[in-house]
Amino acid sequence: MFKSYVQLALRNLLKHRLYAVINIFGLTIGLMVFLLGEFLAAYEYNHDNMFSARDQIYVAGAIIGPNINIGIDKADSVHTALAPLLDAELDDDVLIARTIDREMVLSKDNDNYLQRMHFVDKEFFRIFDFTYLYGDESSLDQKEGIVLTRDMAKKFFGRVDVLGETVRIKNSQDLYVTAVIENLPKDTHFNSSIILRKSLDIIASIDMLSDVTNFEGDWFNLSFNADRTYILLPWNRNEAWLQQQLSAVYERHAPPFAKEFVTGVKVYPLVDVNTFVWDAAGLPIIESVRVLGLLVLLIACVNYTNLATAQNFSRTREVGLRKAFGATPMQLLTQFLVESLTLASVSLLLALVAIEMLLPVYNSLAGKHVVLNYVDALPMLISVVVVVALLAGAYPAFLITRLNPIDSLHNSMLKGRKGGLFRSVMIGGQFAISIFMLSIVLIVHYQNMKVEEESHIFPKSQIVVMDNIGWDEIKPHHETLRQELKEIDGVEQVSLSSTVPFSQNSNVIKVTSIKGDESNVIAIDQLSVDYDFFDLYGVDFLAGRDFDQTITNDAYRDSSSQLNVVINQMAAKKLGIENDPIGKTFYNTTDPDRGGLEASSLQFNVVGLIPDLNIRGLYNSVQPYVFFIRPENHVRASVRISADADFQSVLQKIDVAWESVIPGHPISRSFLDDIFNDVFIIFESMNQALAVFSAIALDLALIGLFGLAAFMAKLKTKEIGMRKVLGANIFQIVRLLIWQFSIPVMWSLLVAIPLAYFASNIYLNFFADRISFVPVLIGVSCVAGILLSWMIVAGHAIKIAGANPIHALRYE
Amino acid sequence: MIKLHGLSKSYRTDTVETIALNNINIEINQGEFVSVMGPSGCGKSTLLNIIGMLDTPTSGHYYFMDEDIARFKESRLGNIRKQYIGFIFQSFNLIDELSVEENIELALLYHNIGGKERKQRVEQAMEKMGIAHRAKHMPGQLSGGQQQRVAVARAVVGGQRVILADEPTGNLDSHNGQEVMNLLQQLNDEGTTIVMVTHSASHADYAQRTINLFDGHVVTESIRGKERLVNTAVIESTTA
Repeated sequence: MFKSYVQLALRNLLKHRLYAVINIFGLTIGLMVFLLGEFLAAYEYNHDNMFSARDQIYVAGAIIGPNINIGIDKADSVHTALAPLLDAELDDDVLIARTIDREMVLSKDNDNYLQRMHFVDKEFFRIFDFTYLYGDESSLDQKEGIVLTRDMAKKFFGRVDVLGETVRIKNSQDLYVTAVIENLPKDTHFNSSIILRKSLDIIASIDMLSDVTNFEGDWFNLSFNADRTYILLPWNRNEAWLQQQLSAVYERHAPPFAKEFVTGVKVYPLVDVNTFVWDAAGLPIIESVRVLGLLVLLIACVNYTNLATAQNFSRTREVGLRKAFGATPMQLLTQFLVESLTLASVSLLLALVAIEMLLPVYNSLAGKHVVLNYVDALPMLISVVVVVALLAGAYPAFLITRLNPIDSLHNSMLKGRKGGLFRSVMIGGQFAISIFMLSIVLIVHYQNMKVEEESHIFPKSQIVVMDNIGWDEIKPHHETLRQELKEIDGVEQVSLSSTVPFSQNSNVIKVTSIKGDESNVIAIDQLSVDYDFFDLYGVDFLAGRDFDQTITNDAYRDSSSQLNVVINQMAAKKLGIENDPIGKTFYNTTDPDRGGLEASSLQFNVVGLIPDLNIRGLYNSVQPYVFFIRPENHVRASVRISADADFQSVLQKIDVAWESVIPGHPISRSFLDDIFNDVFIIFESMNQALAVFSAIALDLALIGLFGLAAFMAKLKTKEIGMRKVLGANIFQIVRLLIWQFSIPVMWSLLVAIPLAYFASNIYLNFFADRISFVPVLIGVSCVAGILLSWMIVAGHAIKIAGANPIHALRYE
Repeated sequence: MIKLHGLSKSYRTDTVETIALNNINIEINQGEFVSVMGPSGCGKSTLLNIIGMLDTPTSGHYYFMDEDIARFKESRLGNIRKQYIGFIFQSFNLIDELSVEENIELALLYHNIGGKERKQRVEQAMEKMGIAHRAKHMPGQLSGGQQQRVAVARAVVGGQRVILADEPTGNLDSHNGQEVMNLLQQLNDEGTTIVMVTHSASHADYAQRTINLFDGHVVTESIRGKERLVNTAVIESTTA
């Protein structure tokens, strides 16, 4: 019996090829998108399987204070001062290790390399069981040790058996290779942290970091997504216990200024770390991909249901005959469900083939290693096919098997409006989803465009930014470097500063309008610049003057009690001096623990006022800023190249100048454009992914409408014929048909519009400066959805309306 | 009012040419009641469709109110049709999704008539056909006879001067058939020209004149029972 059902199903597919192709194509696309989303999500959620203690490893994270404006409310890192304190208070069987991510110059013989390195506490190798090619977990028990991956060993030495070989760090200390480990697979949080891809390939001791830099565990800095504190618990301890211990230690030891920024600490299981950054940013990317995949699959199922309901009308006679010969409703139901199961299975196979073809492309583009494991996925695949077959096939099967045999033999369903409401709801649902997705794509696109447009306040494509300027061995050469760079033909300006625009770090200083008035403290972002910064970045002054080399108080010296500063309008407003701020003064708050400008009391004299520029750009809001000159804060250099210069040759000359001033120290430079794009690309890729999803969803909905319009036009042949006989012209008929299909599409707007509005807010809330024309964009999507549906229906309508009414009236 | 002269209609497929009507000459005067009879496939419906301007002849002339409309375009024919001609079908051809009054109103929708007047005329038509109490019902809720009365109301609501009825009693029992014929008779008495295709000799007798078709030819015409042979060649060829 079952065999005959399958046979019949296949014959029916062949007989109604157009419907079959539309159905299989739709379901294949739906299943492909849905399954791909599920596989990608499973991949991202299931990292770090290679570490045997994975489920006992935790990461200490920070809860960011509500008034700290950095776009995230939690971090997967804590101050580096916390780990030693925690270690001292917990039992010996709890292992704790920090990793500190730094860029360093590593030299072998005369070759110098600028390398990202991880400096770790020695327990690191006891928490994570790497695969050792040489050496073992005790490799960093001595601080002179260094551990390389297979690739790094080959890069430095051309071979893998390099135990005991030396490399030199910062041209000052020799390190001995004490272990070589296998390259880490891609699915570890060390390698793919989704946003910033930092690989773990050179590991040395934190004690060595302290020796070669001024690093010591501190309460000042918090590096997101880079410096982490790992904790391995013994099997008799759990997360709740660790949380309690961690909070208690933080409460006892953290100084007040640290607690202002980080209000508390939280323990996260290691398995959460890979996707942490999305979670922290409040952008549920992976969940969104899954939901969108599900929506696309739903649209495909609705297509199937609609078309099958329609197509089954042509089979009422078959059903009547079967009933007349004794088929029970159950047997007929089974027959029709086997058909939808067959179709869903064919679609699944095609979807899997498509996924197998897409994955290598995705893996190479995204740097991932997603593979389809059929054994693991089998239960999910089977359940998806069964659910899809039931979901899509149950209603049409039920509808047709419910008929009584006489009605079936007379094709009576063709006369009625049975299923009409259901079909309308389904079409409405599809268009609600499609229009919703289209709105989101438009909103995200225009918001991204706004962010991009606003970044043009700085000539970012002309500016080259150099890193590592703050390193001790480079600091003495600042002036020479500046002179050498300025002499290059095509370089317009050179400036050193504590940070550059679009760089996502924040450094605030607390000031008061009245000296010593601790009750009215204002936090203002501080940026240390030099005499040429405003000129280089094209910033015009609203009032007052730029910094002047001949005026003593324009630059900070250790003995200074006064410092001339430039502020922006927002800072002036915050300080209550927005009317004529030039010549006004304000004061710092002192905190000897923090050092810097807060080390001793200081009076700030406002000498210049600039407009409110969004220095951090991207999703951030414009902040109040104070600019001053304190050269020891400078860690980056900006070089502005003339727009008509030959960039390639200027860049070469910059490299040569750098090498001549700071030999043995590779340059690290990038365009300001790239710094902006590092973050902007996340929003752009999101938009592209959304666009793909929504295009698929809309296409499926339109294909479904196409099939249904063909059927409905057939169903309405008599009505159309009669109307023509009574004098309706083609235009009137087309209008009528289009209107009949428009009604469910119009209803769908009632769902799509509020849904799009609220969903877009999730995205827009991430940005401080948002587009104001969201309703217009939603309106455009609605109109686009309606017009597209009209176009699809009009094609059929014109054909039907143009036919001779005699045929229509003879139809019965 | 209607004059067909040397009118032929043929259907051509790749290999076969089927002649549905062959050299038809008919004249129907205003206010006449004419029935068309003949066996299945003799061309009755084709003739009615051409008279109703739903189809065009292959050759010959069709004078409607003294104007040769045989070569008119569909849009022009449509305008003449909706103004002068009403249709009644064997299968009623009511629209299942519309109520009785909406079905009748349909015939006025394409006439540029205001809503109020439409309503008035629909009510009058329903009154006349005795279906006013069924105004809000859907076609599926009516008997065959009632449905056909709705169709008649629809055919005349626009003030059409010609009614073309294609076996209007074919789907009805004798009682309902009789009632529909009485309605048509009444309309004819009021001056409406009626051309009716029928298989029923007794219903054909309502007409003043009966045209008999055979294989696309008019073979006899009879006026109230008096038969006149028109085309002997056809009779001879079929009896031989």
